[in-house]
Amino acid sequence: MRAYIAFTKKEWVESIRTYRLFILLAVFFVLGIMNPLTAKLTPTLLANFAPEGMVVEIPTPTALDSWIQFHKNVPQMGLFVLVIMFSGAMTGEYNKGTFVNMVTKGLKRRTIIFAKFTMSVLLWTMSLLLCFGLSSYYTAYYWNLDGFTQILQSVICVWLFGILLLSMLLFFGAVVRNGYACMMFTGGMVVIFFLLNMLPSLQKYNPVYLVGSCQSLITGELVMSDFTASIIISIVFVVLSIVGSVLCFDRKKL
Amino acid sequence: MNILEVEEVSKTFGNQKILDGVNFHVPEHSVFGFLGQNGAGKTTTMKIVLGLLQADHGTVRVNDQKVTYGQTKTNRYIGYLPDVPEYYGYMKPKEYLRLCGEITGVSKKEADKRIEELLHLVGLEKANKKIAGFSRGMKQRLGIAQALFNEPKLLICDEPTSALDPIGRKEILDILYQVKDKTTVVFSTHILSDVERICDTIAVLNKGKIQMQGELSQIKEKNKREGVEVEFASKDAKERFLEEMNQRQIVYKQSEENPLLVEVRGKDQEQLAKRTLHILAEKEIIPVRFFCMEPTLEDLFMEVVKG
Amino acid sequence: MYLATGFEVIKENLPIILPILVVELILLITALTHVLRHHTYRFGNKIMWVLIVVFLQIIGPVIYFAIGRGDE
Repeated sequence: MRAYIAFTKKEWVESIRTYRLFILLAVFFVLGIMNPLTAKLTPTLLANFAPEGMVVEIPTPTALDSWIQFHKNVPQMGLFVLVIMFSGAMTGEYNKGTFVNMVTKGLKRRTIIFAKFTMSVLLWTMSLLLCFGLSSYYTAYYWNLDGFTQILQSVICVWLFGILLLSMLLFFGAVVRNGYACMMFTGGMVVIFFLLNMLPSLQKYNPVYLVGSCQSLITGELVMSDFTASIIISIVFVVLSIVGSVLCFDRKKL
Repeated sequence: MNILEVEEVSKTFGNQKILDGVNFHVPEHSVFGFLGQNGAGKTTTMKIVLGLLQADHGTVRVNDQKVTYGQTKTNRYIGYLPDVPEYYGYMKPKEYLRLCGEITGVSKKEADKRIEELLHLVGLEKANKKIAGFSRGMKQRLGIAQALFNEPKLLICDEPTSALDPIGRKEILDILYQVKDKTTVVFSTHILSDVERICDTIAVLNKGKIQMQGELSQIKEKNKREGVEVEFASKDAKERFLEEMNQRQIVYKQSEENPLLVEVRGKDQEQLAKRTLHILAEKEIIPVRFFCMEPTLEDLFMEVVKG
Repeated sequence: MYLATGFEVIKENLPIILPILVVELILLITALTHVLRHHTYRFGNKIMWVLIVVFLQIIGPVIYFAIGRGDE
């Protein structure tokens, strides 16, 4: 347990000193503000850039538009940045050889996996909270926060999907030796999920349902129980990835 | 008691057999030199001992416990200094050693005490900057400090001196020599003078097998080549010397490479040297060089590696 | 007329635009100082990274810190 705390602490220090924390917070800060701002300004911009003489119907932006922006920007830009920031978490250490001193000092290999997973989830949670907090604040500033419970539920779906990505990064990080390959495999998995999403009968079980359809929670088209299947599948994937990481990493040549 | 026992260990990479039934043992409280040419399989052997690589056959015992690959409990007896030790460059040496302390489960108070001692031992107590800015020698010294952190019964160093300049090498060897009372030191090298300086036991690895092992003093004793070498300034001087030698029926050998060199061999080196010097004095010959032969590790090593 | 509207829009939304600009600027300056003070990169050279960091807003610094920064 002490070793786990120690290595998690090391991951924290590393995140600060290698600018990982800073980058994540900065990006999610900007995203958090951009969501309501884009929603607010899009109609104005459209009106401004429309050819002269053309009559443009300008819908008045609403709080919903702000959350639509949130669910567009966070899964695209946000998760992309998250993945590239963590893609080298394992492979960077193999390539440098920094695990050798730790493991030969009796640090259990699975402790490394657990500590890395803990810290990546923690940083992701902090980033998402910051982003969500800012979006909520400015959405309330321009409009209102009606239906906050549903909004929160939709954000939890995104959060879980992020954890799924982090666990897959960890798994591929335990399998391959190259950070780009690790990123590609994780991206490949997401592509597979999206391809499977073309089969309507499987959609409800697909983890991408969490990010693809969660804004329907806010509009009221769907309720949380509609997501039960995809949540369970995602959690199963997370657990499998972690168990797989432990098993593969135990056999890894360091 | 043997702190480390390696029995019939084999390892193949691809179709290249690196280790082919390696056997050796390291007695406690010795400084064990593990010799071999570059690529002989020294690092492979050490990684197997540490459970970082899996052997195809054979067993390794550390402190009478079998080493298993992956989850290596035996590693708590071992301190390891890799050939090129790597650290988290964004940490300072104290922070790094503190991390080592937390991983090994030493209490904070004890850890602080050890950190002070170890940094003093390796001469890094004033190096309060990020490890990223360290020289190779400093990294190597920090490597010894981290390897000794859990007070290991066995300290394994992989080529600790190879990449260093003469001053750095001397520093490392001095540190290793200092710690031999507290632990057993195994170190691999291809630099023979390092071995002669601090090792008491050696093993030579060549072509996947241990070709020679034992106490250095005994090995030298067994392979003793006693005698003297005399090098002359001219052929004439040599002829006059040999004439006298023939007369006194002393066995000698002329060198094939150097026509001015004569080797005089026998059992009692002192007696032999006295008689040779006597002849030289009597004939008033002043040699260019007079030399009491000693078996060098280099000779032994070359014999093993070539033979 | 467009310009006027532009200013109007910015003025109206200044409390929200300002923090974005500040954070982007911090990102840019942090990344730029890092690029200029270090000499090894995993790939590419100094000029390339300066251009990337300066001209690709947000994503430039991200890419630099994630994959461009050399080992310390």
